[in-house]
Amino acid sequence: MTNNNAIEVHNVSKKFNRSADRRTSLKERLVRGRSKKTNEFWAVKDVSFNVPKGSVYGLVGHNGSGKSTILKLISGIYRPTEGTITSEGRLAALIELGAGFHPDMTGRENIALNGSILGLTKKEINAATDEIIDFSGIRDFINDPVKHYSSGMYVRLGFSVAVHMNPEILLVDEVLAVGDEEFQRKCFDHLSKLRKAGKTIVVVSHGLGSLEGLCDEVTWLGHGVVEQTGPTTEVIAAYLQKVNSEESARSRQITATRNPEEVVDGELRIKSVTIIDPVTKEPLSHAETGTTMAIQVDLTTSAPIIGPNVRVAFQHDSGPLVAMISNHQHGIDFGTINGDHEVIATLENTPLLPGRYRIHIDVFDHTGTQTLDNWNEVLEFPVRSVRGEIGQGFVDLPTTFTIT
Amino acid sequence: MLSTLYRQRALVRAFAMRDISTRYRTSALGWGWSLVQPLANLLVYTAVFTLVFRITPPPLGSDPDKASFAAFLFTGMVTFNLFSGLVVGSMTQLRSNGELLRKVHFPAWAPVIGASLVQFIQVILELIVLIALFLVLMNVSWTWILAIPILIAMALFAQGIGLVLSIMNAKFGDVQYMVTVALGALYFLTPILYPISEIEKNASWLKNIVLTNPLSWFVLPMHDVMYSLKAPEWWVIPGLLLLGASVFAIGFKIFERTSEDIGEIL
Repeated sequence: MTNNNAIEVHNVSKKFNRSADRRTSLKERLVRGRSKKTNEFWAVKDVSFNVPKGSVYGLVGHNGSGKSTILKLISGIYRPTEGTITSEGRLAALIELGAGFHPDMTGRENIALNGSILGLTKKEINAATDEIIDFSGIRDFINDPVKHYSSGMYVRLGFSVAVHMNPEILLVDEVLAVGDEEFQRKCFDHLSKLRKAGKTIVVVSHGLGSLEGLCDEVTWLGHGVVEQTGPTTEVIAAYLQKVNSEESARSRQITATRNPEEVVDGELRIKSVTIIDPVTKEPLSHAETGTTMAIQVDLTTSAPIIGPNVRVAFQHDSGPLVAMISNHQHGIDFGTINGDHEVIATLENTPLLPGRYRIHIDVFDHTGTQTLDNWNEVLEFPVRSVRGEIGQGFVDLPTTFTIT
Repeated sequence: MLSTLYRQRALVRAFAMRDISTRYRTSALGWGWSLVQPLANLLVYTAVFTLVFRITPPPLGSDPDKASFAAFLFTGMVTFNLFSGLVVGSMTQLRSNGELLRKVHFPAWAPVIGASLVQFIQVILELIVLIALFLVLMNVSWTWILAIPILIAMALFAQGIGLVLSIMNAKFGDVQYMVTVALGALYFLTPILYPISEIEKNASWLKNIVLTNPLSWFVLPMHDVMYSLKAPEWWVIPGLLLLGASVFAIGFKIFERTSEDIGEIL
């Protein structure tokens, strides 16, 4: 173990026997003998990484990728089947907040019990109790049995106890997604404080936005093996790319073709609308914030039409109209068109923030006074994050900041 | 082993406190309930065995002309209850703390031993009743002090077995039912309801079985020191202490070795 690592995970593998084949009753064990080791699976296979002292380390991966198993291995709940894990310093795991709470005991009694379970002496617990109660913000209820607590209060108390155990290493398993926003912020602030104090923190999450703000380094696990280890932004970008491309392979392209009966009897009609990649012209299953996307509108006319104006409106699925774009607005004249045409509206570096958006299309004549065709709620498409943006609102405004 | 136990005393105490404070929290009689069952048993057995089966208890140590079946019976019951209480209490601890053991890493024996500490309160309450009974009968002697090492040996013996059973029960849920049945049989194979002289008359082969039951090794000297007020042979108490300590040490070692993967087993 080198001096500047708090945790070293060295070629660790963990094998589980599928529980369906576990001999849990004595009769089965006697009748059928020891289970044959056929139904085993490796939750984690040959994983290695080092967590430097005083760093915040992230583990990402899809469900079942083995990240929680790694956390349990580090905390000692599981033993590795192969390989070694060494860690230095007192370790506290926030694997499930309030796991040790007894429903019939009061909050205060549970603080004492949980503190002992996490390895504190009586003196240390007494010293920390007031701070824990203040941090949890439930002083008024601290002498009530925890079975009367709301789930939020339960989690607040659990978090407060765990982080006040003064651990050298804190393991956090997707627990920060709980509690209200104010408490979440408090948790993040506290984690930052711990980090400043030189504590080592390992965070497991698929809430990628939170990881990016917090972690120095990230390991991406896929099906129990390390896919990539490195600086947070780099690894998360690679991970998201993989997730997004898997999703586009899986899900359908976003395209809408109009039902012929719906078609208005006019000189121009919109036939279909598709979200495409402007370079390859391939249909997409989703758009990405910051990546250029295009909307292809196929239309046809039965007579020549002079300078039509095609307008695309974006509506967020929560209701608000986010933006409207049209060729006239950008000073582009299509000239006289006749027959089948493809109109492609390209959105450079898509400024829409992650979420779901609906598209409405209107085509006006060159004066802008007469509607040639319109199609409301053509389709709905998701915008996904590639760099872990979460943000508030709908659009990412191109901005620069200076300070003088 | 002893240093491990000592280092984790705060944790063991915390589990004991948890069990104490939650045990009778919602009942009005509280800890009184822990005496109701033994006293009810005492009453029923005394009635049945003195009126129906007419078992003659041995004479009291203070007065050879007097005897008390109730006092004789309760002496054995207290000793046996210490054993069965620790075994049954320990046995289910890993399962009932499963949620916790799956999520936090701590010595798995802590809740088991914590639960046993709580069981001692029960034993002390029963002992108080027993002592009161003997005081009423004016059956008092210095030999009472010898009950302390006997009960300590019994507790160690029971805890060693309880630790092993708790692991077995975590792996195979049948164990707790088998143990309940076994304890029921052991109760009658221990000279609690009858003096050993009683079966000697009728079935000497049965006497041999009763004497091979280790629980008899603890109950018989308890009858000696508490009821008959005589000290057992000099080697009996050291022998029992040695037996208890060995069983505890072996049980603890087995537990430590097999409980490493408890987070997965549960």
